Parts: sequence; C-alpha cells; structure tokens
Amino acid sequence: MKTPILEMKHIRKCFSSTVALDDVELNVYPGEIRGLIGENGSGKSTISTIAAGMQKCDQGEMVFGGQPWQPKSMIDALHKGIGIIVQESGTIGGITVAENIFLAETDQFRIWGGKGPVSTAAMNKAADVVLDNIGVTNVRGHMMMGALDFQTRKLVEIAKVVMKNPQILIVDETTTALSQQGRETLYRIMKKYRDEGRAVIFISHDLDEIISVCDTLTVLRDGHLIRTFQREEFDEDLIRTSMIGRELRGDYYRSDFEPSHMEEVTLTAEHITVPGILEDVSLCLHKGEIVGIGGLSHCGMHDLGKILFGAQKAASGTVTAGGIRITNETVAMKQGMGYVAKDRDTESLTLSASVRDNIAIVGMDRFAVKNFLVLGGKEKQYVDQQIGVLEIKCADRDQQVSQLSGGNKQKVVFGKWIGRDSDILILDCPTRGVDIGVKRAMYQLMVQLKKQGKTILMISEEMPELMGMADRLIIMKDGRIMKEFQRSKDLSDAEIIKFMI
Amino acid sequence: MKKTLEKEAVLRAYKRKQLLITLLPALALAILFGVLCALVSSKGYRLDIYLKKILNEGVVLAVVATGAIFIYSLGSFDISLGASTLFSATLGVMAYNATESFPIMILVIFGVAIGCSLLSSVLASVFHIPVFVTTVAMMSVLTAVASQIISVNGGALGGISIPSKLVRPLDTIEFKLLMLFGYAALCIFVFNFTKIGRRLKFLGGNANCAKLSGIRADRYAIVAFVMAGIGVGLGAFLTLVYTPSVTPTTAGGIGMNVIVAIVFGGMPISGGPRSRIYSALMGGFSYILLNNILKMLISGNAGYGISQIVSAVFFLAVVYITGMNYRTKLLAR
Amino acid sequence: MKKIIAMLLALVMVLSLAACGGTGDGNKPKEIKIGVLVADVSGEEALAFRNYYEKYLAPHYGVTLTYTEQLEDAAAEKAAIETFAAQGYNAIISLSASDRASQLETCAQYGMYYAIASGMDDALYAEHKSNEYFVGQIGPSMTTEYEAGVAMGKYFKEQGVKKIGIYGAFVPNPMHVYRLAGTLVGLGLSYNGATEMEAIAGQLYAGFDLNAVAGDIAVTHYIAGYSDTMWDELGAAMGAGIDAFISVGMATTFFADMLNGAKLPYSDIDSFTSGNGKNVKEGSLKYLAGKYASSVGPIFAAVINAVNGNAIRTPEGYALSISQSYLVATDAASFDACYGADQGDKPIISTETLDTVIGEDVTYEQFVAIVK
Repeated sequence: MKTPILEMKHIRKCFSSTVALDDVELNVYPGEIRGLIGENGSGKSTISTIAAGMQKCDQGEMVFGGQPWQPKSMIDALHKGIGIIVQESGTIGGITVAENIFLAETDQFRIWGGKGPVSTAAMNKAADVVLDNIGVTNVRGHMMMGALDFQTRKLVEIAKVVMKNPQILIVDETTTALSQQGRETLYRIMKKYRDEGRAVIFISHDLDEIISVCDTLTVLRDGHLIRTFQREEFDEDLIRTSMIGRELRGDYYRSDFEPSHMEEVTLTAEHITVPGILEDVSLCLHKGEIVGIGGLSHCGMHDLGKILFGAQKAASGTVTAGGIRITNETVAMKQGMGYVAKDRDTESLTLSASVRDNIAIVGMDRFAVKNFLVLGGKEKQYVDQQIGVLEIKCADRDQQVSQLSGGNKQKVVFGKWIGRDSDILILDCPTRGVDIGVKRAMYQLMVQLKKQGKTILMISEEMPELMGMADRLIIMKDGRIMKEFQRSKDLSDAEIIKFMI
Repeated sequence: MKKTLEKEAVLRAYKRKQLLITLLPALALAILFGVLCALVSSKGYRLDIYLKKILNEGVVLAVVATGAIFIYSLGSFDISLGASTLFSATLGVMAYNATESFPIMILVIFGVAIGCSLLSSVLASVFHIPVFVTTVAMMSVLTAVASQIISVNGGALGGISIPSKLVRPLDTIEFKLLMLFGYAALCIFVFNFTKIGRRLKFLGGNANCAKLSGIRADRYAIVAFVMAGIGVGLGAFLTLVYTPSVTPTTAGGIGMNVIVAIVFGGMPISGGPRSRIYSALMGGFSYILLNNILKMLISGNAGYGISQIVSAVFFLAVVYITGMNYRTKLLAR
Repeated sequence: MKKIIAMLLALVMVLSLAACGGTGDGNKPKEIKIGVLVADVSGEEALAFRNYYEKYLAPHYGVTLTYTEQLEDAAAEKAAIETFAAQGYNAIISLSASDRASQLETCAQYGMYYAIASGMDDALYAEHKSNEYFVGQIGPSMTTEYEAGVAMGKYFKEQGVKKIGIYGAFVPNPMHVYRLAGTLVGLGLSYNGATEMEAIAGQLYAGFDLNAVAGDIAVTHYIAGYSDTMWDELGAAMGAGIDAFISVGMATTFFADMLNGAKLPYSDIDSFTSGNGKNVKEGSLKYLAGKYASSVGPIFAAVINAVNGNAIRTPEGYALSISQSYLVATDAASFDACYGADQGDKPIISTETLDTVIGEDVTYEQFVAIVK
C-alpha cells in the first residue's frame, strides 16, 4: 500500500443555504489519475477547489506530501505543488498569450539584470517553449488572448498551469470546452503525470470519458463521498446508480428508432449565407419532429441557431415561420419560437434575477392581464407550474438563479420557453454542463414535446445525444450542410464523424 | 431525517438573511430618525420644525431619485437630473410669467422635463453611445442655457420667480406627501406590476439575455427615461413650491445626491432585477437625516468638509455592505 | 411580503414625521441668537465681515452668532432658516441673495427678525417694508453701485487716459452691471447712444458689446467672467498698449500679479484688505473702492434692538433702508486711512458707536447718522 500524496480528512464546507461538503475523506495516491464524478452540486468542484487553495474549508484538515497543507491562495498552492485548471475561463482577454502565461511573473524577463523594462521578445519566446511542451504549436506567445476562441484559450490556461510542474494536477470540467484534438492533448499530459509518479484529479460529467481515462473513480453525491471504484470495478450502471442515489428507471434517450413527423412544415430557412460563417444553408422543420444538427464547434451551427431565431442577421437568405418572415426575436416569439442559447449564464438567464423573473419574463403575454398588468397570483401560478413540471430544485420561486446548480439553471431556461407553450424550440447545446439525472429528464421532456406536435431543433457537439434523439440528423462542416441522416438503429459514430472533419 | 432538518435550518437562516437585507435600508432610516429625535430633544430644539424642514429637503430628492430608479435599474447613470430640474423649473417660471396661467406652467414643467430626459436617451440610441455620456453633455448644456435665461430675464434680482402667493397654499406637508406617495405608488405599480417595469429590470440584469427574450432595449430605455422625466418635472414643481424663485444654482446638488440616495437605499449600482423603488424613498430621507445629524453634531463653525467626509465614509460603507451580499453568494457548483 | 413590511415601516415613519408637525411650542430663550446666511465663505470681504461679527461684536454683546455653510440656492437658504428656527434663533442676518423674498417670508413665518446686511433690493423693500419682522436693509443700493462706477470712471478720465481695457467681472450679475454702466458714464462714454443709468444697465444684461461704445476714450479690450484664456486676453490688451485697466470687481483676485508686474495702472471695486494694501503700495493698483468690515455693524445693532422690542423704524413706520456708500483709496495714505482704521479692536464702527444706537429711545435720525 502506497502512502497518499494528498490526504483530506473530515472536510466540511457550507455555503449560505447549502452544505456543499459533509465530512468528506479523500486520499490521492502518486501515480494515479483519480476521477471525481457526481451530479451538479455534489461537491466535486468544491473539494478540488479547496485542495487547490481557491477557498477554505470550514472544518477538517489536509496533508500534502507529509506536511500540513494550508495554501493561502490558488497561486500559493500552484507554487507549492497543486495546480488547477478551472471550469470557467481564467484568462484575460486584452493582453497577449505570453502575458497571460507569465502574469505577475514578468520580472524574469527584465533586461539590464532585472532592472530594465520587460523584454517582450524574450517573454514571447519563453511562452512558445511552454506551449510546445504540451504539444500546442498553433498558438504563439505574441497573439492576443481575446482573439483566440474558447478552446484555444483553454489550452493556454493548461500550458500556464503545467509549466509550474505541480505534483498534483486538478482538471475541473475542462474537457467540455475542448474539441477532440484538445482533449487528446490534455489526456496526453495527464498520462505523462501519472507515468512520472505524480497524480491527477480529473473532474468530469462525462461518464464514458472518465471511465476511459481514470485509474480510480470517486463518486460524490450531495456533499458526501459515496464510493471509490478501482479500475477493475468500473461498471457504468453501478457508477450511475451511485451518482444519483437510485436506479435509473425507464429510458435514457428515445426508445424508438423510427423517424417520424407530421406533414405540416413549421419553419423554413432558405439560402442562409453569412460570409465566412455560413454558406447557402437551407432546411425545413416539421411539426412533431426533432431535428439534430451536429458538427465541430466552428462549423457554423451555433450561428445558424441564432439566425433562425432572428437574433443574428444573415447577409442573405430568409427564415420563415407560420408564413411570416423572422426578422428579430420579437417576431420569432410571436410565431411561437423559443431559443435556448449555448451560453446559458450570459444569454439564457439573468443570474441576478429570481427563478420567477427568469421564467415569467417571456410568458407575460400568456398570463398578464391585457398583456400589460402583471398580477402576483397569476404569475405565481404560472411560475410554480413550471417549477413543478420540471422539478426545479430551488428554495422558492424568489431564489436568485445564480444560486442554483447548473442542471437546475438549465431547467429554468427550459421552463421559460416551455411555459409559454413554444411550438418551435431551438436548443443550442441544451445539456451542456448538466448532470445525468437532468439530462435524462430533458431527453424525456423532448420526447413528450415531440408527441405534442412541437418542433425541436437540437444543436449539439455530443454525437450520442444527437443519435439518440433526432428524427433527422444534419451534419455541418465549414458553414455548409454536408450530410443528412435519417434516424436509424444502425447509425454509427464513425460514419457520422467522417462528414464532420 | 437529520439531514433534511439541517437543510431546512440552513434555508431558514438564508431566508432570514434575505429579509434582513431587504429591511436594512428601512432599519437604517428608523435608526437615523431615532438618533435625530434624540439629538433634537437633548439640545432643546423644536422637533416639529426640524421634521418639517427634513421633509421639505427630502421630498424633492426622493421624488427625483424615485424616477431615477428607472434609469439606474437599466444599469445606466443620469447625472443631468439636477440640471434638468433647474431647466424645467426655469422654463416653467418663464411660461407662467408670459401667460400667467398655472396649468400652462405645470404643462411646460413636465413637458420640458420629459423632453430633456427623452433627448438624452434618443441621442444615446441614435449615436450608439452610453446614455451616461449624453447625460454629461445634457448637464452642461441645460445648466448653461438655464443660467443664460435666468441672467437675462432675472435682471437686478439675479433670479426669476413666480408670485409666491401662487404656490404658498401648496407649501404644506400634506400636499408634498400626497405628491411623493402618489408618484411613488405610480412608479411601484409600473415597476412591479406591469410588463414594462418587469422587462425593464430584466433588461438591466442582462441585456444579452433580454434581447434573446424578445425585449427591445431601445424601446424600454425610452420608457425608463420618460418615467424619470416625470420625476424630474415633479421635483422641479416641488422646488418651486418650496421657494418660488429659480437661480442658476437651483437644484445644483440633486444630480449627485440622487446617486448617493439610491445607494443609501440599498440598491445595487449595477441595476438589474434587484432594483427597488423603495430604495429611493428610504435612501433619500436617510441621506437628508444623516446630513442633518452630522450638521448638529459638528458645529458649523468647526470647519467645512468634515460632515462631507463622514457621509463619504458612510457611502463607502454602504456600498461595501451591499456588495458583500453578492460576494458571499458564491455557491457550490 | 418582505416588501410590504418594508413599505409599511416607511409609511409609519413618514406619518410620524408628519404627525410631529403639530407638537410643542419651544420655550422663549433668554439669550439672543442670530443666524447669518452666507453664500460666500472664502472671499476676503466675507471673511472680514465674519471676523468683525464673530470676534468683535458677538462676544461684546453676549450674542450667539452662527454662520451657515455656503448656501447654494434658494432652497438651501430656506432650509438653513428653518434649521435656525428649530434651534430657537431670534433673528437672521442675510449675506446671501438667491431669493430674499422667500428668506423674509420664511423668517416671518417662524417669528424671526430678518435683516439684509449687504446690498439693497428695492423691489423687495417696496413689497415688504411694512412687515414687522423685516428689520431692514443697509448696504450699497444699485444707485450706489452705479455711482461707485461713475466715480471710478471720472478718476481715470481726469488722469487723461486715452486707451483702456475693461474687466466686466460677472456681468450680467446686477451689481456688476450697474458698476459697469457707471464706469462708462464716468469715462464720458455712451453705450448705443445711451448715457443714463437705467438705459445702459438694461442693455448690459444681454452682454457687453465693444462696438456699442462711443466717446473720446477708446475702449479696446473687454474681458468678462472666468475662463482659461482670460490671462491671454489681458496679455493681448497690454501688448496693444492700453493706458489703464478698469475692473468693476475681482481684478485684484485674478490679475493683480500680472498688472503689478507690468506696472499698468488698474482699478477695482473690492474691499480693504492687507493684500490690496500691497497692491496699492507696491503695485500699480491706482484706484480702489471698497467696503470696510465694520460696515455691517449698524444692521447688527438694528437687529438687537428689534429682538429686544425696540425696533427702529422709519418715520413712516417702515423697515430701515439705508444706502451705504463705498470708501475710496487712490494711494497709500488714503488706503491706510480706510484700512488701518478698521483693524481688530478698533474698527471704524466700534461697540462704543453702536452702543449709542442700542437701547430704548433711539431715533431713526440717530441711527442714520452712524450709518453714513
């Protein structure tokens, strides 16, 4: 039995209305990739951020490398041997990649023996080396951070942490932001750490991913450590059950494999073109149909979603719903359209507003007297109905949305659009950052909406859910539609991916 | 079982905290009020006159601040409010002196106030610049034009005025409270019980999300500025009721005091869904109370600026406390 | 629910505020308490007045004298008066002029005596002279301002200047308008053909136009207000070879160093202070008209009489309205005569002088005599 490199004993942490961690014990051993998995709000991010010095625990103690571990900050922890790559972007847009990497450490590049100004050239060169070390060659030190896309920024962040050679590397939900290529890069780094006898703590929602990458797997639920699985014990169903605390009954995705829809066309898009982003895209959606759009992150499908809802202008082409041309969001909503944005926290929700505000805001024409007077009773009834139908876990309808977990936030977004009885739903990455339980609930909801004759357009970067849900699956690449698949049992990943890259 | 109990206890504590935060501005007002009463009676002053004076001072500030909440809830600032008050009062007086008609004066005051406010927002939307910037420009222009009108028409008196008999009958506590509460009630109604108000707050919270929820920012900005304009008009009218004359310095402090008052009332400066009309009422009167208390404690002859420093410290403390409320809300993912 | 509670709390508060409105009548204090309204807290003249009141008169007569802070507008004046009323003050002396009618009405409403210590307001006087709480006004009337300008103009005309620059200070401030009108007349100039006080003053409110001036003496430069460029404008005037620079106010504050340095003769209507003494003796300030600190003494005496129930009224029974003219210095000797006589313990109007008009049987004539 090896000695653990990090021991966390009796860790307890409360946030104002929630017990995030309750008496959790976690030991991490050298030479392992430790997976942490659990639903949103299970405490997996909390415990890793405590280890990485980003916050302090209320009770409990930690030992790292045989010494008591009391990091003062994230920076302090990184210098002493535990580095974290966080879920949300930790980079600064207005400066160069090199400046981001060597933030607050630029003194080493001062000329004249450390007394002169910072040599940008030397710093950029050093940054290039750091990036090369993790196998990233398409980003250079002199580039402006703000000009890079989300995924590339993430890679810079990884480089910045890995550069410090920490004994333990914590990777928190990072892969959701990365493409397959980026993921491979990260996996390679993680394996290198393990092989060198250091340790990695890997946090992910994606059960498939975590099973393929990790050596041991710890499941957290509601702030408690449920169980640690060794590699030979890995069993998807068992892990899933321990994550949600009960057996999953019923279907995960759609149970049928027959493509189906009604005759009536609800939305058509003709010859949509945005130079450099979309090229001559046409599609048509029917009542009672789930259409999936898949592709790489930059294939143009996210822009297409916005254009269909009237939230973004196309250079040419038209979108029509119910015989009316969609020119802006207001028109779209009048035609019964709803749009769930990819970026939930900045586009789909007002975080500082209550659950009530967020759900009620688009539904006022449904419950307000003469579309003007908002009466408390009617509004509460409307909101509570959505909270009930979607089983949103919140203290009450007046709780601020920012305090909810990711899955419940997304449920609020769904409630917002389903509440007003939208006929056409455009869902851009609807299950992004959502745990299995909520995912399943959403898939089942989509099935139900389909049965009610609603039209659903699901844009996603996750192939399994597209294959599992869509009647028709449209694959896009470089702003064009490459291929359309009908729903079928025989559809395979490999066949689809061919058209994506 | 134990766990649910614990969870409920935490939830109750959280709700208590929320209630306390909501009531904090009212509590502060009550405390300041108590301190003032104690001070006045310990010094042997006449409380009745003091309170009347505080009401007189506070009512204009509270009215203008109440209207300003609409703008602030959008996350915008308007520092031209004092200048608009001066400008509409000036034109109101001119209109009365030209026509000798009280109704026309009222119409001009409100028309001009709403017009100025609208102009700021329209300019901002036409030129795609932050409203704050246009209000800075409006502030200088309105003050300059009003000063010019006053000095040309004011002659030997250095100010223009309407006959004091005209508004004397209205210079009563009852009338002012009626105006204040009437307007506040209107604002609370629009703010909380109409689609317009609710959408406005939502817009202030997240403009991106509001756009994707079918809310047209320009249109609601205009509504906000009209509501604020009504407040400015009422403020200008009440200023004339208090003193029937206008000088270039009239209402000079309002623009800045409104910001302070709104923050004192516990409203987040960033606006959004947590904006409340009652912040303006609580904050306006708290600020005036605080000022009077400080003036009583610090003798006028002891040196200028001390009371300003103390209220600045108060201001920062309030911003810190309201801000802390957000900082502690970082939650588990 | 929370909001309702909060609103209720607020309502209770304001109602109690209103309810208090009717309570209690304060006890009549025995001592005399006078509040002073000021719009200017830092000017040399204002500080000289303040010194005289606070350090000289108040201790001697055992009066509580309280200055307000700088009053920005009419509302601030009224609020300050209400504060004094609440604190049981007996009288208000006003050095602030945003809305004197409102000041007087507010004082009368609370039973406080009201007096204007500097400047005259004829319209106000005409309307309120019968008001028993209006003690009166003592200071330069607009006619006095005009005459001060005339005297200044005449002085330079007699010196034989041919080409001059004028600083109009804060025209259209009425005080400066009348001084400017007087100056033009004193210099023997007409303005758009007008040579009468009201005719010129009426036009000057709209601003000053160099082309409207006609006469033997050339006015080549005119500066007014306060701006970043005004020193450059003065420099241009000096470069153009003006013989003198005539100011109707504030020149000693803004331009003294530049004018003294160039040894260019200049004038001002300001006050007798040590700084101005230096300008006269070492610089080129050739003509200074000013008030002296103790000129505000008589109104103080009148207020004390009024509070003690011995109000001095005009023979017709009206409030006082006495015009006070300026003193003029044109050299070191005449400056010292005005300034030196008004220092510290021995002001021109001393407590001994004032004692003669404080009491029960003081006549209007006696009082006017000490003012003049």
